[in-house]
Amino acid sequence: MTTIETPAAKSRKPAYRTNLVGLVGMAIIAFWAIIALIAPWIIPYPVGEIVDLDYFGPISQQFWIGSDYLGRDMLSRILMGARYTVGISLVAVSISCFCGVVLGMIAAVSGGWLDTLLSRFLDAMNSIPSKLFGLVVVAAVGSSIPVLVLTLAIIYIPGAFRFARALAVNINTMDFITVARTRGEGTLYLITSEILPNIIGPVLADLGLRFVFIVLLLSGLSFLGLGVQPPYADWGALVRENIGGLPFGAPAVIFPSIAIATLTVSVNLLIDNLPQKIRDRSE
Amino acid sequence: MTNPALPLIASRLVISAITLLIVSVAVFFATTMLPGDTATILLGQAATPEAVAGLRKAMHLDEPAVLRFLYWAGGLLSGDLGTSYANDMPIADLIAGRFVSSMKLAGITALVSVPLALTLGITAAMLKGSLYDRAVTVLTIGIISVPEFMIATSAVLFFAVYLQWLPAISFANETVTWSDVLRVYAMPVLTLTFGVASQMIRMTRAAVVETLNTPYAEMALLKGASRGRVVLRHALPNAVGPIVNAIALSLSNLVGGVIIVETIFNYPGIAKLMVDAVATRDLPLIQSCAMVFCVGYLILITAADVIAILANPRLR
Amino acid sequence: MNDSKLTNWTSADDTMVERAIRSGATRRELLQLLLAGGVAAAAGGTILGRATSAIAATPVSGGNLKAAGWSSSTADTLDPAKASLSTDYVRCCAFYNRLTYIQADGTPRMELAESIESKDAKVWTIRLRSGVTFHDGKPLTAEDVVFSMKRHLDPAVGSKVAKIAKQMTGFKAVDKLTVEITLENPNGDLPTILGMHHFMIVADGTTDFSKGNGTGPFVREVFEPGVRSVGLKNKNYWKPNLPNIDSFEFFAIGEDNARINALLSGDIHLAANINPRSVRLIDGKEGFFLLKTTGGNYTNLNIRLDLSPGDKSGFVEGMKYLVNREQIQKSALRGLGEIANDQPISPANFYFNPDLKPKAFDPDKARFLFEKAGLLGQSIPIVASDAANSAIDMAMIVQAAGAEIGMKFDVQRVPPDGYWDNYWLKSPVHFGNINARPTPDILFSLLYASDAPWNESQFKSEKFDRMLLEARGSLDQAKRREIYNEMQVMVSEEAGTIVPAYLANVDAVSSKLKGLETNPLGGMMGYSFPEYTWLEA
Repeated sequence: MTTIETPAAKSRKPAYRTNLVGLVGMAIIAFWAIIALIAPWIIPYPVGEIVDLDYFGPISQQFWIGSDYLGRDMLSRILMGARYTVGISLVAVSISCFCGVVLGMIAAVSGGWLDTLLSRFLDAMNSIPSKLFGLVVVAAVGSSIPVLVLTLAIIYIPGAFRFARALAVNINTMDFITVARTRGEGTLYLITSEILPNIIGPVLADLGLRFVFIVLLLSGLSFLGLGVQPPYADWGALVRENIGGLPFGAPAVIFPSIAIATLTVSVNLLIDNLPQKIRDRSE
Repeated sequence: MTNPALPLIASRLVISAITLLIVSVAVFFATTMLPGDTATILLGQAATPEAVAGLRKAMHLDEPAVLRFLYWAGGLLSGDLGTSYANDMPIADLIAGRFVSSMKLAGITALVSVPLALTLGITAAMLKGSLYDRAVTVLTIGIISVPEFMIATSAVLFFAVYLQWLPAISFANETVTWSDVLRVYAMPVLTLTFGVASQMIRMTRAAVVETLNTPYAEMALLKGASRGRVVLRHALPNAVGPIVNAIALSLSNLVGGVIIVETIFNYPGIAKLMVDAVATRDLPLIQSCAMVFCVGYLILITAADVIAILANPRLR
Repeated sequence: MNDSKLTNWTSADDTMVERAIRSGATRRELLQLLLAGGVAAAAGGTILGRATSAIAATPVSGGNLKAAGWSSSTADTLDPAKASLSTDYVRCCAFYNRLTYIQADGTPRMELAESIESKDAKVWTIRLRSGVTFHDGKPLTAEDVVFSMKRHLDPAVGSKVAKIAKQMTGFKAVDKLTVEITLENPNGDLPTILGMHHFMIVADGTTDFSKGNGTGPFVREVFEPGVRSVGLKNKNYWKPNLPNIDSFEFFAIGEDNARINALLSGDIHLAANINPRSVRLIDGKEGFFLLKTTGGNYTNLNIRLDLSPGDKSGFVEGMKYLVNREQIQKSALRGLGEIANDQPISPANFYFNPDLKPKAFDPDKARFLFEKAGLLGQSIPIVASDAANSAIDMAMIVQAAGAEIGMKFDVQRVPPDGYWDNYWLKSPVHFGNINARPTPDILFSLLYASDAPWNESQFKSEKFDRMLLEARGSLDQAKRREIYNEMQVMVSEEAGTIVPAYLANVDAVSSKLKGLETNPLGGMMGYSFPEYTWLEA
C-alpha cells in the first residue's frame, strides 16, 4: 500500500493557523449566541405577523432574506429561532454528553456487574424508538422547554455512553492505569486524571456530532408538540415548514439551512482546533 | 486453545435475552401510557362511547392490557408474533416483506458507506491538519447539518424531475434487472450514505488521531516511521474498538428503518410500519417491531464488542 | 410575477370553463367572461383550447393508471363500513358499488338501485338492478343489501356511520330484488345518504373483507395495507364500456413535495390533495392540470360555551370578529378556499343560505367585546394540531391579530397522534376538522343538535332541535330550504364554532388522464376516478 508521506513535524507543531480556524469557529458561535440574546430587540417585524401578501418571497429591500410560506419575515424568524436552536441544543448536548461520558467511564473502570447493568440498560433505552419516547413524554408530563431539553438529552445519552465506554475500555487496559490501580487510586481519580485526558479528543468529536443531531431532532420533537410553540420555531422547524419552497429555490428554506450549517460546522471546527493544551494528557 | 469469542458470545446471548425482555416491558408501558387505544383511534371522530365499547369488545381490547401483553409474549416464545389489532392480519405477514426491504436498503447502504467512511476517516487522520483533512471535516459536518428530508427532496428534484434519470419513488418490488436495482436504490442509498458515513468518518478520524497520541505511537514516530505507516500498523489496530462501535451505532439507525427516506421515496420499510403501529396503538405490532429493532441493534453492538475485544489482545 | 398570477387564475378553473361550454356558452361569450376576469385574450384562448379539446376527446380503453393519495397506514381496510382515509375511499369505489351515486350537482343518481321510492319518507322501497354479479360470481340480491345496511348497527363492526345508520330501524327483503327500509323518523334524504362511501354493498355474510369482493368496476389483485393496492378491470362489469383502463395502482405518498415530484417525473398520473403552495409548480406547466374541488370540508375554531372563557358573554362574538377570514383565505389557504360564515352548509350545497354574510374582520369591535367580557389582557390557550388542516396557521393568524389589541393567545401545538381522542370536543378553545357531508340534516344532527355526538361548542337549543326534525320529515323542498336557512343563521350567530373558510381540495393531474370531473364528495372525482377516467394513448 502506498502512503502519502507527510512530514511528521508539520502537524505535530501547534501551528498558528490551526488556532485561527478554531477562532473563526468560536466567533461564529459567539455571534449566534449574541443574536440569541438580543433577538427580540433587533427583529424588523413581529415573528408571527404576516407582512407579505406573497409567499416564499424573494430577497428584497423590505424583507432581507425573503418571506416564508405564510408571508412572514424570514429574517425575524431566523433571528428569534437562534434563541431556541442555540440555547436548547447547547444545553441538551452538554447534559447528554456529560452523563453519557461519565457513566461510560465508570462502567469501563469498574467493569463487572455495574458495567453489564449500565450497558444493557442503556442499550435497552436506545432500542425504544425516539418518536414513541417523545409521544410518551408529551402524554405524561406535557410540554415545556425544560422537558424538551431533558428529552433530547436522554435520547442521546446511550450513544454517548457506548462510544465513551468503548474508548475507556481500551485505555483501561494500558499499563499506566494498572500502575495507578496498584498505587491504590480510586475510581474518581482514575476517570478524571487517567481515562478522561486520554479519550477527550474522540469524546469531543462525538459531542460535536451529537450537537448536530440534536439541532436536527429538535424540529422533529417540536412537530410532536414537544417544546417550541408557535409562532416561534427553531431553525430545523423553519426548514421543515418551508420545504415546499425548495422547488422555487426560496430563500425561506435555504437560509435556515445555512444558519444551521454555520452553527454546527463552527462547533465542530472549534472542537477540532481546541488548543493542544486541553488535549494533552496529564502525565 | 478454544476460540476466545465463544464463551463471550454465549454470555452475551443470555444478557441479550434479558435486554429484550426489558425493552419489551418498557415498550409495553410506554404504549399503555399513550392516550387512546386501537378502538378509539380507528373510530377517530366517530368514537362515541357505545361505538368504542362495541369495537373494543369485538377486538378483545376489553381484557386488561397486562393480560394481552402476556398472551403476546407467550405466543412469541412459540414463534407466533400474534395478530394486528388494526387490520386483523398476522403480524409475521405484515413484517416479513417490509423487513426484507429495510434490510436490503440497510445492507446496500452499509456496503457503500462503511468502506467510504473508513477510507476518508483514516486518510483524514493520516493527513491531520492538512487542507484535505479540513475539507473532509467541513464537508461531512456540512452535509449532516442539512436535514435529511432536504437532501432527499433536492435529489428527487434534480435526478427525477429535472434530469428525469431516476424514478421519484422507489418500488423495490419492481426490480428485475441490475439496472433497475441501481435506479431504484440510487437516491435512497445516496441520502442515507450522507447521513451515516459522515458520522463514521468523524469518529474514525477522531479515534485514529487519538491513538496516534499514545506513547507507543509516538515512540514509533520517534523511531522514524512514516506517519502513514504508524497509522496503519500501530494506531489503527488500537482504534478498532471505538471505530467498530461508531459503525455499529451508525448502522443501528438503519436497522430500525429510516422514516424520512421511506416517506419521501415511498419505500415500504419497517420504520413506517412502526409509526403506523404507534399511531393505531397496535400493541402486538409495536412490540414485534420493537423486538426486530432491538434484535438488530443487539446483533450489531455485540458484534462490535466482540470485534473490539478480539482486536485488543489485552482485553481478551 | 406575471399577469396570470395577479388575476389568480389557475388552470384548475379549466374545469369550470369546460362546464360552461357543456352548458352551451359560445366561444365569444366565454372569452368575454374571461376578459372581465382580467385574463389576457391570448391566455384566454389557450384556456379555452384546453377545455374544448378535453370535451372533444372520446374514451380510449387500456392502460395502467397510477395514482397517489396522501394518507395510508396499516389500518387501511377494504371494509366500507370502516373506511376512514382517502385511500380507503378510492379502493371502495373501485371494488364495490353503492345503491346511489352522488353526481357533480349533489343530487343522487341510481346505481345498484333501479329506483328508491317512498310515500311518507319513512318506509322506503328499493328496487335493485338485475343481472349484477359480485367478483366471485354470486348474483346481487336483496339479502346482500340488507346485510350491508344492518352491519352498521352492530357496534362490533366499528362502523364510521353508525350514528347515521341508527335511524334505519327495519330491513326487509321483500323479494329477490326488492328491499324495504323503515326509518325511525321520516327522512327525505335517504337516497342521498345511501350514496355515501360507507354504504357500499358487500356480499351477504362477508367476514373477511381483504378480498374486496364487490360488484365494482375493478377486481382486487393486490392489497397491502399501508403499502399499495392494485385492481384489474372487471370483465363482467354491469355498466357497459366501463371501466376504460385495464388496471390501476393506488398508494399513498405522505410527503407533499414527494407526491408532486412523483407526478412531475412521470411516475404517476395523479397526485391527490396537493399543498396550495405547490400550485405554482403545476399551474401553466405543459402536460399537467389541476382539479379543484370545494366540497364543503372545513377547519373550525371551537369555543366551548359551557367552559371558561366561552361562557363569558361577548367572548365568542369577539372571536368571530377577530378571526381575519380574508387573511386565512389568502395567506393560509393561498386562495384555495372560500370564506365561510360560521356554519357548516357550504355554497356547494343545495341548501346554502346566500343571504348570510361572513362577519368582517373588526379588531376594535373584538377589543370592545373582550373588554366587556372582562377578558382583555388575559392569556387564553388555543389548542391546535396538524391533525386539522391548516389549524396551526389559522391559530397563528388569530394570535397575531390578538397581539395587536392586547389579547394574548397562547397557541398550544399538540401532536396529531390521538388528537381527536384527547383534545377535540374537550379543550375550551380548540380546532376541529369536519369533512363534507351530503345533506344539511346529517351535518346539523351530528354537530349542532342538543344530543349531537360531536357538538363541538356544546350549543343547545330546543327550537333548533324542533326545526331539525321538522325539516327532516318534510318532502317539500321549498319548506325545507326555508327552515335550513334559518338554522344556518342560528348556528352562525349563537353557536361557538367559528368556520373561517371552506377548504378546497386540489389534485394535480397529468394531461394524459382524461375524463376527470369534480364531485361534491371530495377530490379525485369523489374518489371514484378509476372507474370513469381513461388514459390518452
